[in-house]
Amino acid sequence: MASIRVGRPDVPVDISAHTPGVPEGNATGNYEKQRGHHLDGTADARRSTGIRPTRRDPILDVMPNLPPG
Amino acid sequence: MAARTTQRTAAAPSSQLVEMAWDPITRIIGNLGIYTKIDFANRRVAECHSTSSLFRGYSMFMKGKDPRDAGFITSRICGICGDNHTTCSVYAQNMAYGVKPPPLAEWIINLGEAAEYMFDHTIFQDNLVFVDYSAAMVAQTNPSVLARAENTQAPGAGIHGYRTIADIMRSFNPFEGDLYKEALQVSRVTREMFCLMEGRHVHPSTVYPGGVGTMPEPSLITDYLSRLMSILDFVKKSVAMNNDVFDFFYAALPGYEEVGRRRVLLGCWGAWQDPAVCDYRYQTMSEWGRSMYVTPGIVVDGELITTNLVDINLGIRILLGSSFYGDWVNEQPFVTHDPLGNPVDMRHPWNQTTLPEPQKRDFDGKYSWVMSPRWFDRRTGDHLALDTGGGPYARLYTTALAGLVDTPYVTSTGNSVRISLPKSERLPATTLEWKIPPWSNAIERNRARVYFVAYSAAMALYFVERALEGIRSGDTRVFTDFDVPDEAIGCGFHEAVRGVLSHHMVIQDGKIANYHPYPPTPWNGSPRDSYGTPGPYEDAVQDMPIFEENGPDDFKGVDIMRAVRSFDPCLPCGVHMYVGNGRTITHQHSPMLGAQHG
Repeated sequence: MASIRVGRPDVPVDISAHTPGVPEGNATGNYEKQRGHHLDGTADARRSTGIRPTRRDPILDVMPNLPPG
Repeated sequence: MAARTTQRTAAAPSSQLVEMAWDPITRIIGNLGIYTKIDFANRRVAECHSTSSLFRGYSMFMKGKDPRDAGFITSRICGICGDNHTTCSVYAQNMAYGVKPPPLAEWIINLGEAAEYMFDHTIFQDNLVFVDYSAAMVAQTNPSVLARAENTQAPGAGIHGYRTIADIMRSFNPFEGDLYKEALQVSRVTREMFCLMEGRHVHPSTVYPGGVGTMPEPSLITDYLSRLMSILDFVKKSVAMNNDVFDFFYAALPGYEEVGRRRVLLGCWGAWQDPAVCDYRYQTMSEWGRSMYVTPGIVVDGELITTNLVDINLGIRILLGSSFYGDWVNEQPFVTHDPLGNPVDMRHPWNQTTLPEPQKRDFDGKYSWVMSPRWFDRRTGDHLALDTGGGPYARLYTTALAGLVDTPYVTSTGNSVRISLPKSERLPATTLEWKIPPWSNAIERNRARVYFVAYSAAMALYFVERALEGIRSGDTRVFTDFDVPDEAIGCGFHEAVRGVLSHHMVIQDGKIANYHPYPPTPWNGSPRDSYGTPGPYEDAVQDMPIFEENGPDDFKGVDIMRAVRSFDPCLPCGVHMYVGNGRTITHQHSPMLGAQHG
């Protein structure tokens, strides 16, 4: 490290790093766990709502399923 | 603050050198000082040093952090192009984690970055650079030029509607000129476009390694597209106005091409990934680098010597010489070989350790907090002081020479870049062509900037089409899962608005062990390196002719400011000029200038 004089750190420098055991949103397998998300990349209305989602899917199969955010 | 002193030089007894300094320089971000010695008798700048008194230390406090935080932390490096850092960091992280985001995520990032280029270039060019070319400024520095501008017809009047060059220059007047005000509106619209894609300006909230958190809906893209179409008239008008004014300066001030001129030594690290090719693996980096929609490359004396990102990466050297840091050659290297087995130099960012050594500024010794990044040319053994030409100049130059970009809207021809914009509200479909100019100087750096706004607008249209195609197919994935490895290295290459941007990361024990962002301004604003090679600002200003009509007593240094600002310096503040003997000139080189000329 540099030779300049610095104070003692108040917190460990790696305090923001991940703590083992805490679930991570980016972890592999999370996509499959989310409802309404299909393995081929498409989605259905369940992605957006849990209230009668099938009634909110497109009326024809040829239509893309584009549920809102 | 700087003193002005006069001295007679031994070499040229008839010339008197006057020391003049601008510290800090205004209308930029950060803290940059330019210290010059001006030979007023021969109207030349005899010597120039660029210095920064700003120490950041990101590379020091990034250590030990969670690598996934890197994009959010490094975004705070800059208050205007922070998203470029996030994006670059995300690229580096994607490599380290071995994750490839879904195509739609790439199109969304590309659309966000295109909006950023349009926003930032417009606000810098029209609200900051053009103050130096405005009627208010030129009336003070070169009244005869303004008089000539009053009687010079503007060739592009049919497009932009201004009859004479002086009319255009009046539209540049800060706070009151039409272009100045319109540019502020446009920068608002382009920032809205940005926020649609990346969540927040300028520190994105929805850009992550592995993809984005932006909800891909058709209306996301159409909201962006409608805003983009609304600014196309402005873009077409701007190109015509820029060309008219810059061509006029060449004609009115013969020899003006020497202002800010330096050897053509350009670097561009490429922008906008093509998801069909890019997998973020180091092993395939040369292929996906060449498929970027702005081609990465290094140009030496007009010749494109490489477009290979691996070569570009391995050639980066961080030199000291005039910087307030200790050498790290005796520290432990982090990366001895890259994933392809090539040796990595101790002076490469992957191996750099920042050892600050604060001390008094001494122009014969150490005088800046900026280090000296150079690119090692294996052919000649030279450490090249590359510049970015303010960003657009190098981007257009490498893209034009490489001849790799071929889209319906932007085509590289091998010696030019053709940009096609569709019909907009008032103006018809337009094809613009940026041709490689004979010089790397202040005017051409500025001119390239407006062409790159058009380039970004055209590419954004292409990205809109690709993104809509993806959404219509029903594939709405925007994120790929990944796990953070315990040990990994990564590098990201991107173009910040004002030029090359690289992030180099080393992960050990799941935490950041070493992280070095290299933005464009360390390249451009670097001081003399250990070989004595001056940095690009110093090089461009040194030996530059002075065209300003004022003498030493009311000298504004507008030519020097034009030269330095053409690089789009990113280091902020107000200029005060101190002339020694306790007297400070109160002239402010800031947009407030306009307030005095109502």
